[in-house]
Amino acid sequence: MKIVVCCKGVPGTVADVKIAPGGKAVQYQGQFLTMNECDEYALEEAIALKRAHGGEVTVLTMGSITTQDILYLALAKGADKAIRIDAQIQDSQAAGTVLAAALRKLEYDLVLTGTQSRDTLSGLAGIATAERLEMPFAFAVTQVEVDGDKTIKIRKELGGGRFADVRLPLPALLCVQTGIQPLTYVPPARMLRARQQALRSFSLSDLGLAEQQIVPQGYHFLNIFPPERTGQAQFLEGSAGEVAAALLGKIKEVL
Amino acid sequence: MQSSILVITEHWNGQVDGITYQMLAKGRQLADSLGIGLAALVLGYRLDGVIAALQEKGMDVLLVVDHAQLAQAGAEVQASVIAEAVRQMQPRLVLIGYSLVGMELAPAIAAKLGAPVMTNCVNAEIIDGAAVVTRPLFDGTLHAKIALEDKGPPLVAVQRGATPSVQLPPRTASVQPVSVDMGSIPVRSEVLEVIEEPVSDVDIAKADIIVSVGRGIGDKEKIPMIEELAQALGGLMACSRPLVDLGWLPRERQVGASGKSVSPKLYVACGISGASQHLSGMSDSRMIVAINKDPNAPIFQVAHYGVVADLFEIVPALTEEAKKAKGEVAS
Ligand SMILES: Cc1cc2nc3c(=O)[nH]c(=O)nc-3n(C[C@H](O)[C@H](O)[C@H](O)COP(=O)(O)OP(=O)(O)OC[C@H]3O[C@@H](n4cnc5c(N)ncnc54)[C@H](O)[C@@H]3O)c2cc1C
Repeated sequence: MKIVVCCKGVPGTVADVKIAPGGKAVQYQGQFLTMNECDEYALEEAIALKRAHGGEVTVLTMGSITTQDILYLALAKGADKAIRIDAQIQDSQAAGTVLAAALRKLEYDLVLTGTQSRDTLSGLAGIATAERLEMPFAFAVTQVEVDGDKTIKIRKELGGGRFADVRLPLPALLCVQTGIQPLTYVPPARMLRARQQALRSFSLSDLGLAEQQIVPQGYHFLNIFPPERTGQAQFLEGSAGEVAAALLGKIKEVL
Repeated sequence: MQSSILVITEHWNGQVDGITYQMLAKGRQLADSLGIGLAALVLGYRLDGVIAALQEKGMDVLLVVDHAQLAQAGAEVQASVIAEAVRQMQPRLVLIGYSLVGMELAPAIAAKLGAPVMTNCVNAEIIDGAAVVTRPLFDGTLHAKIALEDKGPPLVAVQRGATPSVQLPPRTASVQPVSVDMGSIPVRSEVLEVIEEPVSDVDIAKADIIVSVGRGIGDKEKIPMIEELAQALGGLMACSRPLVDLGWLPRERQVGASGKSVSPKLYVACGISGASQHLSGMSDSRMIVAINKDPNAPIFQVAHYGVVADLFEIVPALTEEAKKAKGEVAS
């Protein structure tokens, strides 16, 4: 089975966040790019499926040259090939357009993504990609079972303690839920070895896309700010003992 | 009905999901500020009960797609039907609850319509005639206000619990069937079965007092400290999703969109950031106490009492106080 897994590099912390001129994107200084955790679970699932059924895993990311670290981590964890799309796109629907264009250049039976990224928190890119490729999809997938040559059976969360078992024809795209596999630790030696491996890269023009095709449409940012206090929270200060005593007083009122 | 706000409803087993009433309340507020009507869309099979439950709930028009093929339809089919209804109706804006179901539907509907979509919103309002949403970025430590242009129509998915489900003045909606050519909608995946999670031994949903632990605990070995506080207060310990994903605590302890919904008298959140999927499972708690190092953590949005501090200092002190109060420790 040929699996492509989409993994995003996200900043561990951000500073100097402001709206970019034109209002279509957010500018920030990001520190230490890491693999988006939801996507790391998708990667682990891809590798587990390869171990069980054979095939190969290609990891696909998008971003500047610094996102290569994400690809090396994926290779160290067991991915076979790694591709970076050289584009910096925040809008999730536009990301779907670009990822779909890259996938058209690849061979695959299954595409895995995470559910959401910690920076945009929008949970859109996976299904947007599937829709552009007119591919069946499922969200918040907790189990994947290969049950035929051309089909898979999955379990997904519906919320409220409900799950659905769904059979999908391949190729399909799954937005994998966290916890589907344990996260594996990569020893530094393996990471060093992975850094020797070759990476492929696609430019937007390689994908037949022009910059203006991927400008986010239909909205603009007005303002970015720390979450407003709704005013209901009362903050308790003082030594740990003082805070604890005050808290217990409040707690007793409600019990 | 031209130019109205359209709410996509959610129901299961003949029961309307509470998030739908929140969207209707929000939808009415937006419709009133724009001076337009409020419509809702319900799809499924044998919908009489659901229609009866919805009809008096304050919308002007209730659009219905009732078809055998929608009895157990997958998300793709549902998204196609909704997109078709939106195309026919051309509402000003579409509102959908950001439940797990909404998370799967919203991006697909938007893609089919070529419309902009804003998910995970904490608010939607009308400013100078334009729809403006507020939504989190970067783990929820920042919020952005985003103006939607009238293209699409735009889709807005609002978090559960972000808007109160106020009772709208009752009125009887006009029920209108929408005709969708089901034969033209591709059916690729097949829903085999819907499974309800079995009842667990420990039911946090029944507890009056919950002490909940998040990833801020950092280390599995430290969890007993939280358990001790829960016991000292006479309650149960619960947790956020990452602790279950890491295998540190069993799933039955998880609070949130994909875990349990709880509304105890007291919910103490220790080292929990307050992501929308967590808040949607506990924001109805009577008293929420949050202990978090980060003053911008979104958990403080719903907390009644906040402590911006290291949980490793506050939790033991609170346990000590609680034991003292019970007379277990000589003061
Ligand atoms: C489809 C879907 C469904 C989901 N369902 C759920 C669900 O049901 N339940 C759920 O909880 N999540 C759910 N999530 C995950 C959710 O988005 C968040 O990732 C998760 O809730 C974060 O958990 P957390 O707050 O424990 O961790 P983090 O977000 O990592 O927060 C840790 C917090 O601890 C604080 N902290 C760190 N150290 C200390 C210290 N020493 N003292 C005090 N504070 C400290 C930090 O400031 C931070 O705010 C779901 C996600 C998706 C996409």
